[in-house]
Amino acid sequence: MTALRSGAGARVVARRRVSSESRRRALGLTLALPPVLLLAVFVGIPVVLAIGFSLGHNGGLNSTIADIGTGTHSATSWWGTGQAYVDVFTDPRFLRDLGVTVFVTVVSTLLVIATSLAIALNLRLRGGRLATVFAGLAVVPLFIPVVIASWAILTFYSADGFVRTAFALVGLEGPTWGYTTIAVVIGSVWTSLPFATLMATSGLQSVPDAMIEAAKDAGASTRSIVTRILVPLAGIPLVIATTFTAIGILGQFTVPYFTGPNAPTVLGVDISKYFQAFNRPQESAVMAVVVFALASGIAFVYVRANFRSAKKEGRI
Amino acid sequence: MRASLFGRRATSLVLFALVAVFILGPLLWLAAHAFATSWTYPSLLPEGLTFHWWSVVFSDPQLAASVKNSLYFSPLTVLVSAIVCLPAAYAFSRFEFPGRRVFLIGLFATNAFPKMGLFVSMASLFYGLHLMNTIAGIVIVQFIGTVVFMTWIPAAAFSSVPRALEEASRDAGAGAFQTFLRVTLPLALPGILVALLMSFLASFDEAQGTYLVGAPVFMTMPTEMYSLVLNYPKQVAAVFAILLSIPSVALLLVARKYILGGRLAEGFQIR
Repeated sequence: MTALRSGAGARVVARRRVSSESRRRALGLTLALPPVLLLAVFVGIPVVLAIGFSLGHNGGLNSTIADIGTGTHSATSWWGTGQAYVDVFTDPRFLRDLGVTVFVTVVSTLLVIATSLAIALNLRLRGGRLATVFAGLAVVPLFIPVVIASWAILTFYSADGFVRTAFALVGLEGPTWGYTTIAVVIGSVWTSLPFATLMATSGLQSVPDAMIEAAKDAGASTRSIVTRILVPLAGIPLVIATTFTAIGILGQFTVPYFTGPNAPTVLGVDISKYFQAFNRPQESAVMAVVVFALASGIAFVYVRANFRSAKKEGRI
Repeated sequence: MRASLFGRRATSLVLFALVAVFILGPLLWLAAHAFATSWTYPSLLPEGLTFHWWSVVFSDPQLAASVKNSLYFSPLTVLVSAIVCLPAAYAFSRFEFPGRRVFLIGLFATNAFPKMGLFVSMASLFYGLHLMNTIAGIVIVQFIGTVVFMTWIPAAAFSSVPRALEEASRDAGAGAFQTFLRVTLPLALPGILVALLMSFLASFDEAQGTYLVGAPVFMTMPTEMYSLVLNYPKQVAAVFAILLSIPSVALLLVARKYILGGRLAEGFQIR
């Protein structure tokens, strides 16, 4: 009797658990859906439309822009036409600007990661007041609107800016970096530094002291502590910092628009130029897809690194 | 030994000075222009000091309107974003459901497509839905940039609350809602605060989308800044730049502790 009752009770509990499990799943999904759906409508649909437009699908919501724009190709087969891509990739100006974009992205990302790593290592290994202020300083740009930052950097490095003024004080002719690609790199580094610094400091801070002490006791040099222990253990945050920085710089508009030259420029500016000034919206869409493809490649590295660490720690 | 120590200290001071000039120099140089009568190269100091440019900004109805618009749209966007995203962040952290990871990555992946390339087709979509030049349209376009912050960072904050604490509270007889309100929420609050702050900055900073949807009816401070730089004297833009930075700097002082404490960094690791 008691056995029977407890058996029945267990079954009821089990059934209840199953139903509450599936109820929790449904509740979780319902709670998670609003932002997902909103982005699907207001970003997902435009992305699909833009890719379709770049392939010559000019109907539906693309029809207005296809009518207004010049040099628009229409789909010739079920998947579309590659003609707009041929136009863009045979345009010497695009190839030059693609090169500049990749150059700015690679150089700025390297500078950002190197600087933030140096600041974080200084804080981790040496510490002290100066190191803390250093790290705090590198986070300041996070709170300055990008429009302001770009413009401030332009005036600082322009022909009548501070850098040239400082040089003139000691009787030298200083460099004019305003409206050059160098200013774009400076601006990109300036705006990207805070996030990378936060990621690097948090990553290095999570390495246990005991590990560093042990390595020191075993006679390891600072150099090998950095390259063998600190950097590998903080690998994931550093990968995240690198990918975020690179993706941000790849598609940026404001910094190069304000600080950079008219030509050559980066693709983020070209996208808007080809759309507005040249009235060639389809080519602008093609460029957006190209930047998207490059950014997806970088994002893939990030997702893979994250998954690998999650698996290692048994989180999935 | 002593000399090398001194040398190292000197190098780090020089490096520090370089970084300080690199980061703060442009800001101070720009800020100084807001009080300058005129300033010609190669003089290190302006010809004179004045508050004239401030009165120019405050007496210009168009610029004043943009200040008001910015202070209206950004809090509204943050509020909407919090209502829509915070429950989702909780779900991402505490519920297992099909598509969870795909959704999380999807929310992030929307950032990979260059915004400039989207605005073309976004414009046709907004026209189709009659959202052009509307408050709802602007809130939506600014909301897009806040989603990653408002889901990822709070999700990490909720995840960092130990389940044992929640279970202890349930064992002590508290209901699920009470446990959330008394235990989970207070512990996750710093992370949520950072998310609110980052969302505010993202929305306050948003220029291209807001211009596309709002101009010329609704101009905000960043969109106004674009035309300001081209059409007004440098000093007026400098005044405006200072005004535009006030909210973010104020918020920086409030949340400095949490952001430097790693709340922001933690938020971007997939769980």
